[in-house]
Amino acid sequence: MKAVANSIPRRGERTGSWLRVAGAGATQVRVVHAIMLREIKTRFGRQRMGYLWAVLEPTAFVAIFALMFAYGNQTAPSGMPVVPFLITGFAPFLLFRSTMTQTMGAIETNRILLTFPQITPTDLVLARALLEMATLTAVFFLLLAVAHMLGFGVRIENPLEMLFALGCLAMTGLGLGAFFAALTPFVRSMPQIVAMVAGRPLFFLSGLFFTAEMLPRAFREVLLLNPLLHMIEWLRSAFFVEFQSQHASVEFALGAALAICCLGLLTLRGLRKRILAAV
Amino acid sequence: MIALDQVSKSYRTAHGRHSVLDNVTCEFPLGKSVGILGLNGAGKSTLLRLIGGVEPPDCGTIRRDASVSWPLGLSGAFPGTLTGRENARFVSRLYGAAPGQVEAFAEDFAELGRYYDEPVRTYSSGMRARLGFAVSIAVDFDFYLVDEATSVGDWRFTAKCFRMFRERRAESSFILVSHNEETVRRTCDLGAVLSNGRLTMYEDMNAAIAAYRHGLH
Repeated sequence: MKAVANSIPRRGERTGSWLRVAGAGATQVRVVHAIMLREIKTRFGRQRMGYLWAVLEPTAFVAIFALMFAYGNQTAPSGMPVVPFLITGFAPFLLFRSTMTQTMGAIETNRILLTFPQITPTDLVLARALLEMATLTAVFFLLLAVAHMLGFGVRIENPLEMLFALGCLAMTGLGLGAFFAALTPFVRSMPQIVAMVAGRPLFFLSGLFFTAEMLPRAFREVLLLNPLLHMIEWLRSAFFVEFQSQHASVEFALGAALAICCLGLLTLRGLRKRILAAV
Repeated sequence: MIALDQVSKSYRTAHGRHSVLDNVTCEFPLGKSVGILGLNGAGKSTLLRLIGGVEPPDCGTIRRDASVSWPLGLSGAFPGTLTGRENARFVSRLYGAAPGQVEAFAEDFAELGRYYDEPVRTYSSGMRARLGFAVSIAVDFDFYLVDEATSVGDWRFTAKCFRMFRERRAESSFILVSHNEETVRRTCDLGAVLSNGRLTMYEDMNAAIAAYRHGLH
């Protein structure tokens, strides 16, 4: 027997021992890595617009809102410096949104790759999500670095905790993306529905350019049902020494991120057979 | 060897469940190439997908003591955005083979010329099949799963694939599904017929073809 491809576990078959489970794990890492390299070429390779847009979009939002704040003689709440305040809103939100929208299309665009038995729908979804998270995290830090060099006063109070909050946004994006990706083969108009329901409104309801404290009380209570608002408030609380959110709940943010992530991945796993049958 | 043990598979259709394989038990020995004859819609492609592990069976087990290719067919397995070369590298990474070797062999064998560096979406279906064959032969499997592709399209390339298969028969074998008796007779050692969810293997190719013809009438 030839050496190549011996350790490839086939779909729907039980692995007997821990050794084979470890082998399956190694295969999955190899598979996700191979798909990520594909995705990098597809997303960023042909026209370099992919990277450019990933940087330009948050930069444009921050610049426009910074000008609006300056023009209206507005200061950021709690004495936070304006530009970092805006960056910590838009960049993490776009990390969430891009992860969701890119992940959502992972199965639809790469469906035919499922012909390879070692590639599962989950691999397609994970590869895209990881690539998107890495890209948008890099963009976030790039913006912070540029803002720092331009003298906008960037100083991260508690970097580790900030990364946790950022991780929650990423996980929420992955979870929703996986959930919609699993349903897209059966509900064709899913991308349009999601763009309409989740894309626009969340942009205005997640505290990108305001804090929960600034809202009227009744309105605030409704908006605090949105876990993204908690995550961004939490992120800013960790980021700025000046700001400590009175409304965000770390438990709610973490719990929601975990629950949404599990829901998405389990839905994907549950519909696996039907997704494969449709290849 | 590939062994199917009491394998069943059915699909939901508008007219209730359609059973494609019904309690099939059979073995594909290493070193013997098997041609599976069946009418269109008999479930040949599904059988190949099950053998290749693209889909799990509803019940029963499929054991593989050998490396098995992905199902090779006219439609190919590559999304259109990347080039032939990039796909060759992708597959070698997927199977843990040496990317440089696979890339070079596939370039030579597929004879795609400058198209090797063009996105797959610009390929004709014949070119897609050629890329799939070349890459899979480069990776080097024990079993190749072939879905009619060789019986359609470019005859010169078809002949070249069969030559390659014959040269390698001692160490590799292939499982070909087809509705064409001639292709099966010319290229395979054993014949099998798939109809009404049953798969019957014949040691004698003529017996297989006779059974297949009998089913036609």
